[in-house]
Amino acid sequence: MRVLVVEDDSSIAEFVAAGLRQEGFAVDVADNGVDGLELARTQPYDAAVVDVMLPRLDGLSLVTALRRADVGVPVLFLSARHSVDDRVRGLQTGGDDYLTKPFAFPELLARVQALTRRGHLSLEPTQLTVGDLHVDRLTRKVDRGGTPIELRPREFALLEYLMRHQGKVVSKTMIVSHIWDYSFDTGTNAVDVLVHRLRDKIDRSFEPKLLQTVRGVGYVLKVG
Amino acid sequence: MRLAIWYAALFILSAGALTLFVYGLLARALEARDHQALETLLSRYAAQFQRAGLPGLRRVLEVDAAEGRNERLLIRVTDGTTAVVYSAEPPGWSDSDTLALERSRNGDSRWVRIPKTPDAVLEVGTVLFDNGVSLQVGRTSRARAEVLEYFRARAFEFGLVVAMIAIAGGVLINYAGLAPVRSLEATVRSIVETGRFDARVAATASRDPLDTLGGQINVMLSRIETLVNGMRGALDNVAHDLRTPLTRFRNVAEQALVSDDPAAMRDGLGRALEEADRVNATLNALIDISEAETGTMRLASEPVNLTTVVDEAMALHADEAEEKGIVLESSVPSSVVLTGDRTRLRQVLANLIENAVKYTNTGGRVTVTAEGAAGEVRVSVRDTGIGISETDAPHVWDRLYRADASRSVRGLGLGLSLVKAIVEAHGGRVELTSIPGKGSTFTVVLPTAAQ
Repeated sequence: MRVLVVEDDSSIAEFVAAGLRQEGFAVDVADNGVDGLELARTQPYDAAVVDVMLPRLDGLSLVTALRRADVGVPVLFLSARHSVDDRVRGLQTGGDDYLTKPFAFPELLARVQALTRRGHLSLEPTQLTVGDLHVDRLTRKVDRGGTPIELRPREFALLEYLMRHQGKVVSKTMIVSHIWDYSFDTGTNAVDVLVHRLRDKIDRSFEPKLLQTVRGVGYVLKVG
Repeated sequence: MRLAIWYAALFILSAGALTLFVYGLLARALEARDHQALETLLSRYAAQFQRAGLPGLRRVLEVDAAEGRNERLLIRVTDGTTAVVYSAEPPGWSDSDTLALERSRNGDSRWVRIPKTPDAVLEVGTVLFDNGVSLQVGRTSRARAEVLEYFRARAFEFGLVVAMIAIAGGVLINYAGLAPVRSLEATVRSIVETGRFDARVAATASRDPLDTLGGQINVMLSRIETLVNGMRGALDNVAHDLRTPLTRFRNVAEQALVSDDPAAMRDGLGRALEEADRVNATLNALIDISEAETGTMRLASEPVNLTTVVDEAMALHADEAEEKGIVLESSVPSSVVLTGDRTRLRQVLANLIENAVKYTNTGGRVTVTAEGAAGEVRVSVRDTGIGISETDAPHVWDRLYRADASRSVRGLGLGLSLVKAIVEAHGGRVELTSIPGKGSTFTVVLPTAAQ
């Protein structure tokens, strides 16, 4: 999988490129819109991460030009801009997703993976397992080491989400957009409380502790 | 200047029109009077002729001439042939006049005008009798021409005076009439040059468009001032509000650096990341507040079902309330719909509920109610928490104000100022009643129609 990163801040560009390479992607980097457009037009990429504010040619114009040249590479816009209108405009010019800065890397990764997965329909397994924790998605039954666990709907949704991303860190923002279908500012600690309750049910009387907090980044479900 | 010229021109034109009108009336009246006099004479002589025939007429004419009555008149009488029976001519009579008179006797019109001098004509009235006898009486219009000439001379003088008045009036208008505009212009120019948006134009209470313009400019200046102050204030707040978490961030990172223990370093870095997130959240909240306060926040204007918004806001905090052993309940009529921004209104309610839950202890109760009345909706969040003292109450809506009792509870302190800003941007208002130790009720009053 090949990804193009067009970002003028070298520190952010390197951070993103290094992270993606660690996940197995091949990454090309451009630090301005003109070079980025050139690369995107002449080489095949599975996804592109494009900053909205770029020197020489801004991100939105870059993507508009790409679409006009019939280049269909999925694009994730990165932006420090605040308003909802920018988000809408980004998607209208032909972008596929939009992420505001600052972002947690796991979130960018998840979105890039979602972009590259398009066209590859992966079959979702009905049975999920992490360690001795077991979830049946069809019957909505959860048990650990054979002991059945009663979960409320939101707790189940969170556990299912964490298990699908097992071993990978999931940020609060990702949890919010998955569990509640409206946006709210993460100043509230609704996510913390939910995680706490889930942890209570699946980890408190068991070993090892599967639901771990990665401070400043998010949560991960894994053994060890 | 244009106004002055228009005024002067209009003034002169109307004075001119008036003068012409009066002149015309006068000329006509004088002419009518002269004709009337001649008519009277004509009918008198005609009657005489009817009574006493030519000789009788002749006798009367001679008597009148002797008495000097018809001195200025022309009188001619002819018999059946063209022979002149009687003729009296006024001074200045000439042969050409006689010729013209002959011609006129055979003409169709009863009245004839014979031009005599450039400014006067001879007006002759003719009566033809059955047997070919004709009687003509005429008079020069010189007298009335003199009157009119006199009038014309005076009118000319009058015109000069009018012109002077017109010019003076124009100058006066330019000065006094446009004075408010000039003063307005001067004030606005000084504002633009000095960049002081707190200056205002002097405005009176009259309804004259020039004065209401001043009032409107003041409104505009207030708006600009609000925006400028809002932005300045926002920048000041951003600087202040961000520096605290940034300082914490720095401290934590520093601590992590000097530590030898990898676990402690890792922990320190994690906490530093949390502070970074807090800085971002503060920044977003500050931008929101600034936008809401200066009226630049983009608010959607759509129908919003109050029950749905309340339920969604409650769902965010249901778990937390349960953890704390607090009852969270609502009693909202299902048909209440208002016009506004759904996301922002949910944010308002979520903030209020979050506060209520935060400051209420185990065993307490948080209730959300709503009632509609006369075009507005009152939504209240009541809690049985620690309450707010009278001194603190007016200040809770300020940014970063944390009443003493609340300092132990974590949070950003921006929630209520954002609530107030969003509610006011919707055209509503906020209210608070509280009893320390018993609880508080936060009320949001919103108009049901768009503002």
